[in-house]
Amino acid sequence: MEKKEILKYCIDSLSESGVDKSQCILNYSKKDELNVDIGEISLFRTTFDTNLEITAIHENRKGSISINKLDKDSIDKAIVDLLELSRTSEIDEAYDISPKQETKVFSSGDEKPDLDKMYSLMDGFVVKVKDMYPQIKLEQAIFDFVKTEEYLMNSNGVDFQSNKGIYNFTPIFTSKDDENTTSFNYTQVSLSELKKDLLECGSINYLLRESVEQLKSKPLEGKFVGDIIITPDCLYDFIYFLNSINLSDNTLISGTSTFKDKINKKVASPKFTLHSNPVSEEICNGYFVTDDGFEAENLTIIKDGVLKSFLLSQYGANKTKLERSKNTGGAYIVESGDKTLDKLIKDIDRGIVIARFSGGEPSPNGDFSGVAKNSFYIENGEIKYPITETMISGNLNELLLNIKDISKERINFGSTVLPWISTSGITISGK
Amino acid sequence: MLINNLNSYSSLLKDYTELRVQENRTLRISLVKGNLVKNTKEIIGGVSARVNKKGSWGFVSIPEINLESIKKAIQEAGYNAAFLNSKANKGKERFLPSNPTMEKSFATHKTRLTQKEIMDYVKAVDAYIMTKYPNLINRDIHVQCLDMEKNLLTSDGASLYSMLPRSIIYVDLTLEKDGQPVNVTNVFGGRGQFEDNFDTPDKLYLELDKTYEHLLKKSEGVYADAGVKECILDAKLAGILAHEAIGHTTESDLVLGGSVAGDYLNKQVASSLVSLVDFAHTYNGELCPVPIYIDDEGTKSEDTVIIKDGILKSFMHNKETAQHFNVSPTGNARAFEYFDEPLVRMRNTAIIPGNSKLEDMIASIEDGYYLIDPSNGQADSTSEFMFGVTLGYEIKNGKLGRGIKDTTISGVAFDVLKTVSMVSDDMNWSAGGFCGKKQLITVGMGGPAVKCKINIGGR
Repeated sequence: MEKKEILKYCIDSLSESGVDKSQCILNYSKKDELNVDIGEISLFRTTFDTNLEITAIHENRKGSISINKLDKDSIDKAIVDLLELSRTSEIDEAYDISPKQETKVFSSGDEKPDLDKMYSLMDGFVVKVKDMYPQIKLEQAIFDFVKTEEYLMNSNGVDFQSNKGIYNFTPIFTSKDDENTTSFNYTQVSLSELKKDLLECGSINYLLRESVEQLKSKPLEGKFVGDIIITPDCLYDFIYFLNSINLSDNTLISGTSTFKDKINKKVASPKFTLHSNPVSEEICNGYFVTDDGFEAENLTIIKDGVLKSFLLSQYGANKTKLERSKNTGGAYIVESGDKTLDKLIKDIDRGIVIARFSGGEPSPNGDFSGVAKNSFYIENGEIKYPITETMISGNLNELLLNIKDISKERINFGSTVLPWISTSGITISGK
Repeated sequence: MLINNLNSYSSLLKDYTELRVQENRTLRISLVKGNLVKNTKEIIGGVSARVNKKGSWGFVSIPEINLESIKKAIQEAGYNAAFLNSKANKGKERFLPSNPTMEKSFATHKTRLTQKEIMDYVKAVDAYIMTKYPNLINRDIHVQCLDMEKNLLTSDGASLYSMLPRSIIYVDLTLEKDGQPVNVTNVFGGRGQFEDNFDTPDKLYLELDKTYEHLLKKSEGVYADAGVKECILDAKLAGILAHEAIGHTTESDLVLGGSVAGDYLNKQVASSLVSLVDFAHTYNGELCPVPIYIDDEGTKSEDTVIIKDGILKSFMHNKETAQHFNVSPTGNARAFEYFDEPLVRMRNTAIIPGNSKLEDMIASIEDGYYLIDPSNGQADSTSEFMFGVTLGYEIKNGKLGRGIKDTTISGVAFDVLKTVSMVSDDMNWSAGGFCGKKQLITVGMGGPAVKCKINIGGR
């Protein structure tokens, strides 16, 4: 069987077994990956994979199974296992599949990687880093091209196909001289095509330069409540936490979300607007179809500080009687502000620039604490020195409300577009 | 189905080659406030080959498992290695040969439970919590069972068949205090299939009652006073201290990547009370949570003594880093899925117990904290680690005081371990977490309670 025939076979087999509703997702992928280890290109890894995920709902009982074998025997066995999973499941009227939508084929990116170009860019990156930043130890760098072909069909007649090719680059590095070692740092950028040097992509050059500066880090003394500037790399972590504790299915179904009654109410500074735009032209590494079978659309989560949408799947929406979101998150874009990063720094009496947050996931009420890695101390509007052994703690909800300014500058990581954000009321403690 | 013996493919392995056939089978069940939000099975398997040509690695994985896919994986992994070698010939020598052989299965000998029986178990636990503690605003129960079954053959003749299962139940309880949610999590299970770890639901009830008692105290809790404090890290926390604070910095690939541990070999890095070992499979005559007998490069796994009486003694190695440091590989090369290449990973990392009693350790602190349950953690090339603490108490004048809210502790490991002044005589192993380093992997973490000075986050 080939591609759509497999999906039709699964849906027909489940229907013949008396299942009320079913959905199948079939994904073919090939990844070509070059790895730098300890400053040398060391590994060329190619992975072929398939994944068939089948979901069945029968008499309001649901189960799902995933396999990566596509022969008839494996599929038939998976269907038998799936029927047992769904029959022994709990009854829940909120289980459903997406309604029929217009059949579509979506495409983005290259069909095949240019391996010689990838090698040449990776090699060029290693050489340039050694030349420009001799103190940098390139612990690892991963440069891959992933080609995916995904089909989603369900028993309501939904029929989507997504074809996507994307390059991803992730360098991990530290700086070392005769006396000092810095914290490691890393970033990731996604690219639809190979047009420029890897050093110039995303925040890479910026972070490498800062890493070398961090060889002069020293512990921060004492404890104070001050301001922080969150860098674009670090801001992603805080948006992830926001989703996890306030916006997603589980937190709203359980009722632990502190945003549960806040739709159309103020949850952040009026300067803060957050979108999830998987099909935006700004985002090259987005997605076209949600896991629950809907065509993905762009949405605004927070507009001028007011909560406009959760990130609820069809099940989450049915369960909470709230509106299903137009997508299920990711592809975050924070709108830029009207001040430069320099001005954000100048406006701070005492605080830090935090470039990497190493901490636990916040409590359900938003309390967080963690180590400020790769960060710099600010006093009287100036960056004074890089710091080590410094912890920050605060509350995520208060952090959003206390946002002072957002930078004009933003970094496009391919999967997100994020600025620098300054906020206040954070406890900063050193030795 | 896995192929039970790969030896018939040995003639295909010309260059240095590892051929692996693997299947990971996962069952996940999640009940959120009694709602079944996840009920899934995943069966992911395939074949992979990794080839080394003069220092350049090629790797290919294919989901089908048959003669054709095995031939293709070996051939194309060779092409990939040749592609890199054509760009830059590193001229490295072939690894010294080793050819241990082992078959090891930890599959249950009991009759396998049906899906319905497992579901009934989970529902019984949920019903107990709901009935006994009606004031909770939420209860989460997550079941995760993972069976990792693999076959390995190397060009040196090493071979392995292993079936390593793990089954875990995570329970999270939440109540509301002053309009704010407060939660506590407990983890049950470890090595073994569901039938070996979970007999009847009532066996969990005593621990669940204790978890609820902790939750009540935590809901009345206060923020920790931020700063460097004298703390007792409970045995449950010592394992993550061993893993995050020291373990990662002594993985040889991270040493080569600039980890500060590279500067400290054979130097005093901790109090003489501290000894730390990454155990291959057995501690004190008992099986560890993640027993590894032969690693995914075909090396016989040996215990790695990392710190002995406060002195940094050695690092964890794969074949390539062992060649670099001119030492023997330690059997720490592990891969998670069939499509993952082996990396230097920990197995069962533990601080060795001392002679003190936990109650004496608590009594010895005038103003500090007793920290019990960890959440996630992270290491650093500087050895500055952190991990979340989800359950802890104040210590005032040698006695436990109020509970504390969630916090994070951190410190420079090689400084913190020098402040260790007492080590308890008990040992606690945990096996519920995953370690992330390009890939996930299951690890065991263990240790006794430790008294030290550490930076605690708070207000």
